[in-house]
Amino acid sequence: MVSSIKTISLNGIEGNLVEVQTDITGGLPAFEIVGLPDISVRESKERIRAAIKNSGIDFPSRKIIINLAPASTRKEGTSYDLPIAMGILAALGEIIKENLENTIFIGEVSLDGKINHINGVLPMCIEAKNLGIRRVILPKSNKNEAAVIKNLEIIGVNSLNEVMDYLNKKIDIEKTTVDIQNIFSKKEKEGLDFSEVKGQENVKRALEIAAAGGHNCLLIGPPGAGKTMIAKRIPTILPDLTFEESLEVTKIHSISGILDSNIGIINKRPFRNPHHTISQTAMIGGGRIPKPGEISLAHNGVLFLDELPEFNRDTLEVLRGPLEDKNITISRLYSKVIYPSNFMLIASMNPCPCGYYGSNEKECQCSKQSIEKYLNKISGPLLDRIDLHVEIKPVKYEKLNDKKGEESSIQIKERVNKARKIQHERYKNSDIFSNSKLTPKMIEKYCILNKECRRMLELAFNKLGLSARAYTRILKVSRTIADLNGKENIEKEHLAEAIQYRSLDRKYGDKF
Amino acid sequence: MKINIKSLEYPENLRKIKKPPKQLYLKGNIELLKTPGIAIIGSRKCTEYGEKTAKQFSKELSIEGLTIISGMAEGIDSFAHIGSIEVKGNTIAVLPCGFNNIYPKQNIKLYEEILKNNGLVLTEYKEDEKATSDKFLERNRIVSGLAIGTLVIEGGHRSGTSVTANLTKEQGKNVFCIPSSLENQKGITPNRLIKEGAFLVTDVEDIIKKYPELNLKKRVYREEIIKIEEEKTIKEEYKNVYNELNEENPIHINEIAKRLKLDINEVSYKLTMLELEDKIVSLPGNNFRKK
Repeated sequence: MVSSIKTISLNGIEGNLVEVQTDITGGLPAFEIVGLPDISVRESKERIRAAIKNSGIDFPSRKIIINLAPASTRKEGTSYDLPIAMGILAALGEIIKENLENTIFIGEVSLDGKINHINGVLPMCIEAKNLGIRRVILPKSNKNEAAVIKNLEIIGVNSLNEVMDYLNKKIDIEKTTVDIQNIFSKKEKEGLDFSEVKGQENVKRALEIAAAGGHNCLLIGPPGAGKTMIAKRIPTILPDLTFEESLEVTKIHSISGILDSNIGIINKRPFRNPHHTISQTAMIGGGRIPKPGEISLAHNGVLFLDELPEFNRDTLEVLRGPLEDKNITISRLYSKVIYPSNFMLIASMNPCPCGYYGSNEKECQCSKQSIEKYLNKISGPLLDRIDLHVEIKPVKYEKLNDKKGEESSIQIKERVNKARKIQHERYKNSDIFSNSKLTPKMIEKYCILNKECRRMLELAFNKLGLSARAYTRILKVSRTIADLNGKENIEKEHLAEAIQYRSLDRKYGDKF
Repeated sequence: MKINIKSLEYPENLRKIKKPPKQLYLKGNIELLKTPGIAIIGSRKCTEYGEKTAKQFSKELSIEGLTIISGMAEGIDSFAHIGSIEVKGNTIAVLPCGFNNIYPKQNIKLYEEILKNNGLVLTEYKEDEKATSDKFLERNRIVSGLAIGTLVIEGGHRSGTSVTANLTKEQGKNVFCIPSSLENQKGITPNRLIKEGAFLVTDVEDIIKKYPELNLKKRVYREEIIKIEEEKTIKEEYKNVYNELNEENPIHINEIAKRLKLDINEVSYKLTMLELEDKIVSLPGNNFRKK
């Protein structure tokens, strides 16, 4: 008696078809799983034996061989429980085999026959759809996540008995559907909004520019200035997620197991703020079976690093590659995985070790050397990838109480979207989308300065002692400012404003 | 250039001190050795108050026609030189090291600036010698030795500053002190010196009137004239922003925007332009004031 059940395995965020073949023959009673299962898969034997017994079916005292084909790739995780159990039941003739056609099974079983939640359902279903599968049977708590994929029949089940009854057509389970339009149009009422930030006009303006051009941004300010509060609101002024983008985000969150099972798909840009004690692996991803790190979880969203100089220097240095490539390749002995990591980096720091340099509230206690040492914790190459430096000051009490309406995120977002559209149009024949990604060659082409601007920039460099690395940053940012103003060419006011956002290159550099 | 104690150029003042340096290595305008100079000394880790007074007195003393002598260390020393350079005054820096090992390193720019402004840099050490802590004190005897008097700005308890002040006294010259708040840790030395009989100074006149024999002539401060002219030429476009600023209290960029009811991008642009035209100074924390 042989049976064959289809399921999907995961490698990173890519799914692969796996066939679970079951053979039950006479001989000494045994239960073996072959096809490079790791411990979590091998343990499923015990779960399945108990689950089948507790579902009211005699577990056969015969020789059972399970083969996970292709037998040459490693299998891990608990999602094979349900397909293996189904294979045994099909081989026993407990379910009508014809009804297994074109169906994928994924799920973990518990001892009493219940079917438990698993991680990574979305990428599995995407692969299923690509393979032309019609139906997916999976744990009930995963059904909303899977139902995002169109043209796929999603059946959420609670227990082994329910699956058998369904396949034997004793009961009918309605296929799950979700209204994607509805999820995307749903506006969170109590969500964060920029209108809650009182004052701080210069910071808001800088972040509007950052959002419009996709620029990375460094916030510098004393403790209590509101750096974290403002950073948390950045996703609200970024352009809305498209469906494709949100699928990418959901995929990564799905395999990490941090997806909210009620929503199914992530409809807003992620905001990740790892603590500064984070390890290198947690930052970029890794492990024996590589899991995505914070930079991938922040894909299409914002990665906020609070207290940047406190981070381990090595942890910061590993960001350099992903910041350029927009993805990260993690290689381990048995697997090699590519995770996307297209995020906007927002970092915050104090201007000096005590935090009050340049503040009116409190005298700064730091010597020049200690300030220099503190700033040197962030390497030049990393600083090179940050286009905007913004200084934040705490808001005075009178302002906090100010009833004057501040601009809402939606108003800012409108302008951001407009500027993005101009960039899309301009770069449609190249492989970049925003000004922050301009290559040196493209800068020559798109950031042309007239004579007056060139003279001004030269003056600025001599007078303010800007470093060479500031040059391209200023050009990119002024390109974005020009786009925000709807101007074809960079003019001197755009350039002058951009120079204001290079504070680390000047005030904190050589003071003379 | 090198001179020794027998050279004609060797400053008379210096010859009179205890242990005069046998030779001096010089770079820059050697004529400055003949001009009357005042030493400005103080703490390396100075407060903002110290920075401000050092610059202010250095500027005004330069305008009065005195040469500013200091050690080109961090803190007060640097600000003394900078103040003098800003008004195109004369300044002499005495190094604790040879010319190939300028100390502190971050002041190499200042060193070049001094030479560019027709200043003088000198040392008693051969070009390859490195700065060590004992040389700082040795250097101080030349600083006070070259000068006709010493102005003490700030200094902590038992600091190098107090050593230099004592040297000045031993050499029979005037010690001038800027009083400090009792709360200021760096005010201990000047306040103590005042108690012990040093001259308390509140403006440059206090120093000048002690040297009637010098018959000092005010240098024509070209910058002053240029400044007045320049002020007239501030472009109409930026005038509104410029007029919001003052010279004492820095104002935050958001405050300017609020007062003028302008968009932040416009204010930001005008501030940069004004800064480039040298009309205003930008300070840490996005604060601005008139120059």
